[in-house]
Amino acid sequence: MKMHEEARRAVASAVAAFGLCVAGAAPAQQPAPTSGAAQPAANPVAPASIQALKDMGAFLQTLNRFQVTTEVTGERVLADGQKLQHTAMASMDVARPNKLRVRMVSPRSERELIFDGKTVTLFTPALKYYSTVELVDTISGLIGRLQEKFNVEIPLSDLFVWGTPAAPIERIESAMNAGQDFVGEDLCDHYAFRQGNYDWQIWIQTGGKPLPRKIVITNRADEARPQSVSLIDWNVKPTFKDSIFAFTPPKGASKVEIVPAKTK
Amino acid sequence: MKNSFSRLLVAPLAVLVLGSVALAPLAEAAGNKGGGGGGGNARAGGGGGGAKPKAQVNNSKADVRTNNVRNTSVNNVNNNVNVSKNVNVNVDNNRGCCNNGWDNDYHPIATAAAVTATVAVTAAVVGSIVNAPPPGCVPVNYGGMIYQQCGTVWYMPQGPQYVVIAPPY
Repeated sequence: MKMHEEARRAVASAVAAFGLCVAGAAPAQQPAPTSGAAQPAANPVAPASIQALKDMGAFLQTLNRFQVTTEVTGERVLADGQKLQHTAMASMDVARPNKLRVRMVSPRSERELIFDGKTVTLFTPALKYYSTVELVDTISGLIGRLQEKFNVEIPLSDLFVWGTPAAPIERIESAMNAGQDFVGEDLCDHYAFRQGNYDWQIWIQTGGKPLPRKIVITNRADEARPQSVSLIDWNVKPTFKDSIFAFTPPKGASKVEIVPAKTK
Repeated sequence: MKNSFSRLLVAPLAVLVLGSVALAPLAEAAGNKGGGGGGGNARAGGGGGGAKPKAQVNNSKADVRTNNVRNTSVNNVNNNVNVSKNVNVNVDNNRGCCNNGWDNDYHPIATAAAVTATVAVTAAVVGSIVNAPPPGCVPVNYGGMIYQQCGTVWYMPQGPQYVVIAPPY
């Protein structure tokens, strides 16, 4: 009973306050837009955010040998719009300009890709099957040709495009600084971009080593908006030897034909 | 309300139980060293000796609806986001095949079109599981994934077993 009474009083005063608020706000609303403090920027592409991407790219290009690991959470949208999440892991050993070793682990398979600058091998350890393709190119050339010809995607392939003229920065329609955030223990600058049907965000480590630590990509083409989240860890002083980029088929392994992707 | 809910729940449960009974011999026949009662044990292998084979994923109990994928996320800004070169973001075609990113090698296997087409041609029903592909199959790497092609029938490795899929191309 008593509480009832109190509640009613509280509601009454809240209504009164709200009424006052509205009444007070109405005349104040006119000058607000001209003050400009909370207004969106005139240019939706904030130059400083683009510059941060360029700085990160330039720094990535200075790394000649590195190890990078990523854990990605992706989403599949079912016919009725329900979403299912899945995760996968990848680790890469990189020696620029043309050596790469990748291990990709997903629930269904574990695969390795080994590239020595001349030949790329795709190996499935559990089945002991491997396929090879002669391909004399750099790492970024390899990425493009594998994707085009065989529909094989390399994890975090963006890492090899940023900081090069191929980085399609002019396609970004909106860029903004989203403040700072932590990825693990590390302070990062958070940026958000829009282009076409995609929104994406990147967390770049604050300070002298502007490394990408997290990337989120949202597909707006589907109303369910499937999204991927990639967390990225770095070792910029790796100890691997060049011999890891040579593939010798293990005992009992057999070679399998790789079929070029059909365009349909 | 409560009544209809529990009735809804009972039906799928019954299916699940029947399903796992039917599949149990398959799991045993596969000779998985993980031991124990099949798929439920997947995590237990982790603590053992270094040489122990890794636990395998078993999707045989997954609902067929999980294969009816209309779209996926992407995890690659420059290749996928840039529309001019965008070859693989929409999986909306009835085949739903091919590469949806390095992490997403789930290939929809039960789209209606694929099921009817395959049933008409051969006895191997899309989605059915075998311990080994029939003799004479040829392993093929397509889109970075290994398949077994047996004439018009395609198998995809799934843990220690093989599942019949719609042709990837």
